[in-house]
Amino acid sequence: MRTTYRVLAYLIVFLVVVQAAAIAYFIAGLGEWIMGGGVLDAATMESESTFFPGLIGIIIHGMSGTYLIPAVALALLVVAFFAQVPRGVMWAGVLVGLIAVQVALGIAHVPVLALLHGIVALAILVVALIAARAASGAPVGPAARADAVA
Amino acid sequence: MRVRPRFVIAVGATLVVLAPLAWLQQASLLPGSYSVMDMGVVDTGGAALGHHRHEDGVGRGVDTIVETATDPVVHVELAARKDGDRYTLNGTSPGPEIRVEQGQLVEVRLVNESVPDGATLHWHGVDVPNSADGVAGVTQDAVPVGGSFTYRFLARQVGTFWYHSHQLSHEQVRNGLLGAIVITPPGGVGATDVTALVHIYDGTRTVNGRAGDSPAAVGPGERVRVRVVNTDEGPMPVWVSGSEFRLVAIDGTEVQGPTPVRDVAVLVTAGARADLELVVPPGGARVEMGGSAALVLGAASARTSRPARTLDPLSYGTPADIGFDPAAANRRFDYVIGRRPGFVDGWPGVWWTINGGMFPDVPMFVVAEGDVVRMRIENTSGEVHPMHLHGHHAVVLSHNGVAATGSPWWVDSLDVPDGEMYEVAFRADNPGIWVDHCHNLPHAAEGLMAHLMYEGVTTPYRVGHEAGNTPE
Repeated sequence: MRTTYRVLAYLIVFLVVVQAAAIAYFIAGLGEWIMGGGVLDAATMESESTFFPGLIGIIIHGMSGTYLIPAVALALLVVAFFAQVPRGVMWAGVLVGLIAVQVALGIAHVPVLALLHGIVALAILVVALIAARAASGAPVGPAARADAVA
Repeated sequence: MRVRPRFVIAVGATLVVLAPLAWLQQASLLPGSYSVMDMGVVDTGGAALGHHRHEDGVGRGVDTIVETATDPVVHVELAARKDGDRYTLNGTSPGPEIRVEQGQLVEVRLVNESVPDGATLHWHGVDVPNSADGVAGVTQDAVPVGGSFTYRFLARQVGTFWYHSHQLSHEQVRNGLLGAIVITPPGGVGATDVTALVHIYDGTRTVNGRAGDSPAAVGPGERVRVRVVNTDEGPMPVWVSGSEFRLVAIDGTEVQGPTPVRDVAVLVTAGARADLELVVPPGGARVEMGGSAALVLGAASARTSRPARTLDPLSYGTPADIGFDPAAANRRFDYVIGRRPGFVDGWPGVWWTINGGMFPDVPMFVVAEGDVVRMRIENTSGEVHPMHLHGHHAVVLSHNGVAATGSPWWVDSLDVPDGEMYEVAFRADNPGIWVDHCHNLPHAAEGLMAHLMYEGVTTPYRVGHEAGNTPE
């Protein structure tokens, strides 16, 4: 269970890195496309077709951010109940909370909140790293001591 | 063996976290097929509830609400095919333009040659009898491969309209199962009549199927009416380079007293139409479709970028009688669009809500024939929604609390941006069951689809995969 906890926490770290890379790819692709004569309006944006390289970035960012990362965080919380990781439940709970805030910021459609979205991303990254490292040390608690004896 | 208390606590905590989610997920599952008569939260708009449930099966079936006029004047055969990802009608996409005169009885026979999921035709903006509305699972069954369906309606209105499939529409419309239908007054419109049906195929915006600049065969000094049809999923700004113009019709209804304007964009929302009229200047003019495609009128001229100003139909043109008194409305509805996390048919997501309810807990707006209906459409969902009511045209009364002062602004497809509110009114004068949905068709597939239900009307058709009908 501790290993599962560690793997899930590192998976969140990895997925946050993917989020940053994907959105940067999208912004760069969009900029290049517009400078090359591309015109974007709501109808084009909603057409769900790939009209420039990098568009896949926003799709990955949206799907992973809305579905995958929250699912992994929930799984981490459930695993935390069983894995005797020091403050494991707390860190998993903090991650679930931060990710809920992050999803809300992501779909808020208030541009200035995107500043916060970028900052909360780093907080998720750091907390996920702390959680993963907490599960890397020696086990704690009575059960862990029993394991250690055995 | 003794069960460790810690383990029991862990199992309990897991249940606390997951059980509500599992329950919500299961509760959201839709039946394999259902009738729209049983769907949604009944909303009578403040009137007493009449007979609408028809558990006894009494009532007029939608299939019996047909055009009574006989002897079709215009007969069209449309063969729907699927070639790869592309859908065509009579081998082309967009399909052939249907052009009729007001007063003519139109008969269109749809033959499904090879659309595997079935197809229908909806006459977007034409207030047809309910049986001809073309909504799979509501007014007909989707036409299977090898099958056919005949649509009959009298061309009562004059204007620019379009037709498209209303079966798996978010896929079939995007990939081409659509075309224009234009109803002209007898004798024409007093101008060269040019249709500009705009559709994005694989990320490329086209005008009448052609990418980039589409030349129209017109000369300087010629008066031209350009009928812009937005068949895509979001609003498109349209403006004219090199000339002033008048916005002479919106959604197939003439604007009263349209004044010439220039350096202003007209926002044509998804599903909507705008007719622009101008006299081609010696140097030519361009009707810019969002800046990525254009209709070129006369000599080649320079393109311009989108003007900063957008024309507001709320105060454009001159007021005129609308034929009924919205103050005497006997039904008042809210259509408030929101968004929150949850499950729709078992799928987790951040889904649209209508009046706080997630699909299928969306309103069933109940009316009776002859009612005057007011509807407040408010959007708090974070994204723009082009709202489309079938079978009726509604007049805009106010926008964000500001009353309309211009020409009567009749719409069938209304752009409702985030944070904004419109109040519209219409007469319930076309009995049937009419869907009232977002014309960003993937949004409709995500549950942004309610319906208007006339008392005393029933449908024998069913929605759902078991019935083979997926109208969204």
